[in-house]
Amino acid sequence: MSAPTTVRPAGPDGIIGRRSRKVGGDELLTGRVRYLDDHRPTGTLHAVVVRSDQAHARIDGIDATAARAMPGVQLVLDGRQAAELSGPIPYFIDPAARGGRRVDIRCLAVDTTVFVGQPVAAVVATTRAEAEAAAAAVRIRSTPLPHVLDAVEALRPDAPRVYDEWPDNVVFAKKYGIGDVDAALAAADVVVTEELHIARTTTAPMEPRGYLASWDPADETLTVHAACQNPHQMRWMLSASLGLDETRIRIVTTTVGGSFGLKMQGHPEETLIALLSQQLGRPVKWVEDRRECFMAGAREQVHRITVGATRDGRILGLRNAIVADTGALSAQPGWAMPNMSATTLPSGYAVQACDIQLQVVATNKPSLNAARGFGKDAAHFVMERIVDVLARRLGMDPAEIRRRNFVGPDEMPYRTSTGLNIDSGDFPGLLDKTLAALDYDALRERQRQARDQGRHLGIGLAFELTPESSDGPGTFVSGFDTTTVRMSVTGSVTVLTGVTTPGGGNDTGIAQIVAQELGVPIGTIRVIQGDTDQCPNGFGNFSGRSMVVGGGSAALAARDVRAKIVAVAARMLSVDPDDLDVDEGIVTSRTDPATTVPVAEVAITLLTRAFAIAKDIEPVLESTRAFMPGNIDHTPDEHGRIQPYPTYSSCLHGAVVEVDPDTGKVTLVDYVMTHDCGTMINPSLVEGQATGAIVMGLGTALSEQLVFDDDGALLSDRFKSYLLMRAGDLPELRMVHQVTPSPFTVHGNKGAGEAGIGGAQAAVANAVEDALSPFGVTVRRIPLTPPEVLRVLDEAAVVSS
Amino acid sequence: MDVELTVNGRRRHVDADPCRLLVRTLREDLGLTGTNVGCLTGDCGACTVEIDGQTAKSCSVLTGSAAGSEITTLEGVAGPDGELDAVQRIFWEEFAFQCGYCLPGMILVTEELLRREGEITDADITLALNGNLCRCTGYMPILRAVRRCVDEARAGAGSAGVTEHQEPA
Repeated sequence: MSAPTTVRPAGPDGIIGRRSRKVGGDELLTGRVRYLDDHRPTGTLHAVVVRSDQAHARIDGIDATAARAMPGVQLVLDGRQAAELSGPIPYFIDPAARGGRRVDIRCLAVDTTVFVGQPVAAVVATTRAEAEAAAAAVRIRSTPLPHVLDAVEALRPDAPRVYDEWPDNVVFAKKYGIGDVDAALAAADVVVTEELHIARTTTAPMEPRGYLASWDPADETLTVHAACQNPHQMRWMLSASLGLDETRIRIVTTTVGGSFGLKMQGHPEETLIALLSQQLGRPVKWVEDRRECFMAGAREQVHRITVGATRDGRILGLRNAIVADTGALSAQPGWAMPNMSATTLPSGYAVQACDIQLQVVATNKPSLNAARGFGKDAAHFVMERIVDVLARRLGMDPAEIRRRNFVGPDEMPYRTSTGLNIDSGDFPGLLDKTLAALDYDALRERQRQARDQGRHLGIGLAFELTPESSDGPGTFVSGFDTTTVRMSVTGSVTVLTGVTTPGGGNDTGIAQIVAQELGVPIGTIRVIQGDTDQCPNGFGNFSGRSMVVGGGSAALAARDVRAKIVAVAARMLSVDPDDLDVDEGIVTSRTDPATTVPVAEVAITLLTRAFAIAKDIEPVLESTRAFMPGNIDHTPDEHGRIQPYPTYSSCLHGAVVEVDPDTGKVTLVDYVMTHDCGTMINPSLVEGQATGAIVMGLGTALSEQLVFDDDGALLSDRFKSYLLMRAGDLPELRMVHQVTPSPFTVHGNKGAGEAGIGGAQAAVANAVEDALSPFGVTVRRIPLTPPEVLRVLDEAAVVSS
Repeated sequence: MDVELTVNGRRRHVDADPCRLLVRTLREDLGLTGTNVGCLTGDCGACTVEIDGQTAKSCSVLTGSAAGSEITTLEGVAGPDGELDAVQRIFWEEFAFQCGYCLPGMILVTEELLRREGEITDADITLALNGNLCRCTGYMPILRAVRRCVDEARAGAGSAGVTEHQEPA
C-alpha cells in the first residue's frame, strides 16, 4: 500500500505527545470493569491447589478418599492422573535450546516434589470454601529427601541435587564479554573487588493470578479467561500440554490488575485448570490467594565484581562472577533473567574489557518468575555500587567518575563488550539534569552542615540503561508485533493488537498513535487486546515492547487505512490525493480548505457505493501490519555475540536519604530521576510507569524480602511480613525528562516501564553508604532494613577496631 | 440467616452465614464486583467499602456484624446516571491509577477525607492513604489527585471550609 499523504511530526501539537486520559478510565473508576475473578458464569466450579509441604521429597502416595467424600467435591486429581491426561508444559524460553539443562515441567508433581508449595493435587468443588476444606483433607504421603536452599551452597560438589538426574545444580552457565581483562586489571592503578548480594523479592501485583477455563464438550473447544500477559503463547502452551489443536483454544485476557512479569505464561495452573474443566465439562475457576502469589521469586543473585581503573578514574576492565538462584525450574521465562544481568553490564560505561561468568543455579525454593527489570536491574545495582566503591577509593566525586566513564552521545550507536548495540542516548546530559534538579553542590554543603550537627545525610547517584523490546530467536520472546486497524461503515475504528496491557495504559498510547496517524478523533477508536480469536498473532506484554512494536505496527496499519480514505476522498472531491489532509475525522483540501468530506462519509461511500465511486479501489478499510524495529541483529559477530534489542532507554537517579545509626532506619528525603525513553507518546503514562518502577525499586532496596525457614517454607507470606512501600514512606519523587529519539522505531520512542528498579536500588544503597561514610561502612546487601544497616555498622566497627 | 443491608442506597436481603466475610457477600451474593480482593489480611485496601459513613476493609468485616448498615461500594460513588463525581474525575485527570485494582480504597478513603471538617494537611492525606497499597503508580499521582480533590472541595465549599492550601478554582 502507498505511503500516507502527510504525517505530522510528534510533538505537543500532535496527538502523540499529549497527556491523553486513560481510555476506559471511567469503567475502572466506577467498578464496572471485570478482572478475572469478576467473571462468574453460572455453574462455575472452583479449584484449589494442594501443595507440597516438603522442600524435596519422594511422593509415596496421595490419599484423597476423605476429600472426595466431602460436601460439594466434584473431582480430586493427583499428579499421576494428570500425567496420563496431559503432557509436559513447553518452556517459554527452553534452557536446553540455549545450551542449559531442562526437566519436564508438569502441571502437578508426579513422583517428586522439589519445593514447598509445588502443586501436587487439585480439588474442584461447587464453592471455593468447599474446595478449600477438601484440599485440607488430602493426605500426601512422602519421604523427605535432602534439600538445598542457597545457590552458592548448591554449587558445592557434595550439595544435594534438586534434580536427581543432573550431575550438579547448574541450569545454565555462560561467559559474556570480550577483551583482555587480565591485561586491563594489570595495567590499572587501582583495583577494587566486592561481593554484592541482592535478596529474593517478588512482584506482588494487587491482583494475584487467576484462570477461568470453560471446556465445551459439544464442540470440543476450550475458552480460557486469564489474568495474563501473553495470550497467544498461552494458547500454544495449552495446545502442547493438552494435545489440543490451537484452533480449538481461545484465550481471553481479562482486565488485569497489575502484573510486572508475574502473569507471563508457563505457570502449571494454566494447564491444570484447563484440564480440570475438560474432565468435568464445566467452567472451572482458580484464583491464586496472596500466600500463593508470594511464592513467585523476582530476583536473587550474588555478584563478585572487580574493576580496575586508572588514577584519574577511567575504568579499564571488569570481571564479574554471578550466581543466580532460580529456585526450582518452571516453564515461565523467569530462569532466563540473570542472562540480562550479565549482558547489561557494563551498562553505559565505555569499558571494552569485560569477563562476566554467569551461573544460574537450581535450589529447592519456588521458581524465579519473570519480573519487571528482567535481570537488567541487578546489573545496575552491581555496576553503580562498584563505581561508587571505586570513586571512594580514588577520592573522586561520584558524579565526576561517572562522567569520565560514560559512553559519549557522539559515540552512538555504541557496541558494548557484551555485544549490545546502544541505539542512542545522552548520558552526561542525564547526569547534568539530575545534578541540577538536586542542586548538587548546595546539597553537599547541606550534608556537611548536617554532619556537623550529628545527622547522617547521604546522596546516591545511579545510572541505569534499559535494553528493551527483546527478540530471542526461536522463542516466543519476539521483537515484532502485529496490529489490525479496521474502519467500519460508520467511520469508527477498531484496533486489534497482539500486545496486551497489564494496567499500564499502552491501549491509550496505541489509541493516540492511531488517532494521529489515521486522522480521526481518539473517541472513535476502540482498542481490543488479549483475545486470540479476535486479535492478530502477537506476543503480549514484556520487555517494554508494547508501544515500540504494538504502537509501531498500529501506526503502519493506520497509515494504510488513511491512504485508502484519502484515495477515495480524492474521487469524491475531484481533487488530487496529494492535496488532501486528514485530521480529527475530516478530509480537507490543503489548497482549498472549504473542500472537505468527513471520514465517516468516505467510509460509507467506499463500503456501500464501491462500484459507483471507486471501481478500481479494493473496498477494504482494514490493514494488518507487523512492525520490526531496526537494530536487532541475530547474525553472530566474530565473538559469537548477537544483538537482541532495538532500543535502550536510560536514566539517572539521585537519592537523598537520612540514616539513623542508632536504629538503622533509612528515611528517604529527596528523589530525582532524569528519564530518557526517546519520544514520549504520552508523558503521563511514561511518568506513571517510571514512578511505579522506582517505588518497586525502593521497596526492594529498603524493605522487601522473601524469607524462608530452614525447611524451605516461605515465612514472608503476607503484606504484614513482606513490606511494600506505602504512601507515607516516600518523599515527593521528582522526574525530569530528556528526549533522545531512537533512530530505529516508528516514532523515535524507546521501551518504557522497566527502568527504575535497579537504579533505585543502587541510588539508595549508594546514598546509605554515603550517609554512613564517617563510620567507614560498605553496603554489600539489599534490602537495607534497619537490622541490616545496624549489621553493616557493626561490621565496620569490627573492621576498624 | 437473613441479613438486611442497604447497599448503595438500595435495601437488600441476603441469606448468608453471619460469619461470611462481607467482601464475599458483596461480590458473590450481591454481584458487586467493584470491590476487589487483594490479600484477605486487611493490609492492601482493595476491598475497602464505606459502612455507615466510615471506610472499612470488607475482608475484615463479618456479614452478620454489618447487618442493618448502610454500605457504599465503589459502584455507589458515581451519580445514578453514571456521572463521575469530583474525586473520580480528578483521579482520571491526574492519572492516579493504572490497573485500577486499588481504586475502591483510594476513592472511598478520599471521599471520607473530604467530609472531614477543618484543615486537611498533606500529612493527613498521606495518613489517610497509608492503609491502601498500590503497586502501579508509586503513589505520587494519587497524592497529587487527593490534594487537588481537597483544594477544589474547599474552594467550592465557600469560606467556611477554606484552608491555607486552597487555591481559587
